[in-house]
Amino acid sequence: MSARRRDALTELAQLAANAGPALVPVGHRELLLQITETARRLFSAMACSLALLTEDEEELEFISASGAGAEAVRELRIPATQGIAGWVVMSGQAIAVDDVATDARFAAGVAATTGYVPRSIIAMPLQTERRVLGVIEVLDPGGRPGATLSDMELLSLFAGLAALAIEASTMFGDLGRVLLESLAGADVDADLATRLRRRAETAPKPRRDLADVTALLSELGQAGPDERRLAVRVLRDVLAFTRGRSPA
Amino acid sequence: MTLPAWSEQFARERLGQVPATLPPVVSRRWAFEGATGAGVRVAVVDSGIDASHPAVGAISGGVIVEYDADAPPSYARITEVEHGDVFGHGTACAGIIRALAPRCELFSVRVLGSRLTGKGPVFAAGVRWAVEHGMHVVNMSLSTGKQDYFGLFHEIADLAYFRNVMLVCAINNVPGPSYPSQYASVFSVAAHLGKDPLHFDYNPHPPVEFGAPGIGIDVAWLDQGSITASGNSFAAPHIAGVVTSILSKHPRLTAFEMKTVLAALADNRIPPDAGG
Repeated sequence: MSARRRDALTELAQLAANAGPALVPVGHRELLLQITETARRLFSAMACSLALLTEDEEELEFISASGAGAEAVRELRIPATQGIAGWVVMSGQAIAVDDVATDARFAAGVAATTGYVPRSIIAMPLQTERRVLGVIEVLDPGGRPGATLSDMELLSLFAGLAALAIEASTMFGDLGRVLLESLAGADVDADLATRLRRRAETAPKPRRDLADVTALLSELGQAGPDERRLAVRVLRDVLAFTRGRSPA
Repeated sequence: MTLPAWSEQFARERLGQVPATLPPVVSRRWAFEGATGAGVRVAVVDSGIDASHPAVGAISGGVIVEYDADAPPSYARITEVEHGDVFGHGTACAGIIRALAPRCELFSVRVLGSRLTGKGPVFAAGVRWAVEHGMHVVNMSLSTGKQDYFGLFHEIADLAYFRNVMLVCAINNVPGPSYPSQYASVFSVAAHLGKDPLHFDYNPHPPVEFGAPGIGIDVAWLDQGSITASGNSFAAPHIAGVVTSILSKHPRLTAFEMKTVLAALADNRIPPDAGG
């Protein structure tokens, strides 16, 4: 590759990496909005909001909301150790509260900030077998007080699907960022694997692990067919072992 | 004749005689009548307990468990100190248990509330503390779905079973793994539609074996208040309370016998005199 083309590629990567936060999450945000809107309609609820844990797991950020008070709740951040949402992500258990106003701290806090105080709320953790991602809350489902057993069962199924979709979308976005950040790095003479490895040393978790894995894969791409087959076998065995540890 | 190591325990002179613990017919009267929970130590592994709440009353002790990255292998720091409830949920569980077993000794093991990072090790260390500190019943209205912790929690659940500590766990509503609530040795609980605290169902198709009140029930909460709430996490303390009550009257029952008693007393069980 000529020096000029390499410089142009690096510049392009730098531009994409810088613009990434503004461009890449568009699809992701749409997905999250679809999730809250679908849940709101599914439960004939007044509102639905979805909060994801920040990278340091210290806070819950309300990324998406639809229905009453949606504008105010979006981008609201609360400590992950507070309120009903906090208990749900920490315990991994779903909870429904019929008359939220009786929990004075809740009513005076988050709900009041949104300008909409619901009567009832169902909060369900968004989690996969790998980690807890956040919480989804359905406010005033069905226009009646109180959650039913079937409300909770339905939301648990929905939350399971939503968590898988969010995890996949987040991972895809992270992978794109890692690749762009590596390409945009100052070490233009290094090969991709080396750049990814250097990125792995500085990137925040979980992108650090992702950069590491991508670096290894990139290096493997240059190995011979026998080595690649061996690597695939090892990876398959590792994954089989991981799956085998937990009964589905 | 020399017996192999494990079999030595079954040599007649060492084995001795084990008293019968179960009557020919297990009745509610045999199980509950006059039971107060006295002498039974119950740990609530949750967000703390507000002992000043009128539904709970004085508790007998407690610890706060926090994540400590510099403390392998448990990565947990345990501090024996008086504390309140961060969320209200631990107080709700304690209130349910207290109502069913008024004279039991309640202990708070606060594992929720400081931070999310290290949740698995903290939760595990809290349960282990309860198992190793003389608790008879441990209520866990929480679980982890992270497969990394499968082995860790399994080891603690086995330890509890061998020490005859009864682990009562709320099953996770979310599809997928839920530890330790899906292990065979624990009392795994989900909410059923009933509201009577002394009535429960038995499901012969595990992992979730018992159904107890957990939908639209009034529970103690923060600031001396109460809320009407739903969740499997409120069903578990109902079974923990029933187990505590029975255990105070029949302290020799083992965990597997206690499951037999619960199955025999379940609402959906055909009564023996009905030819079932």
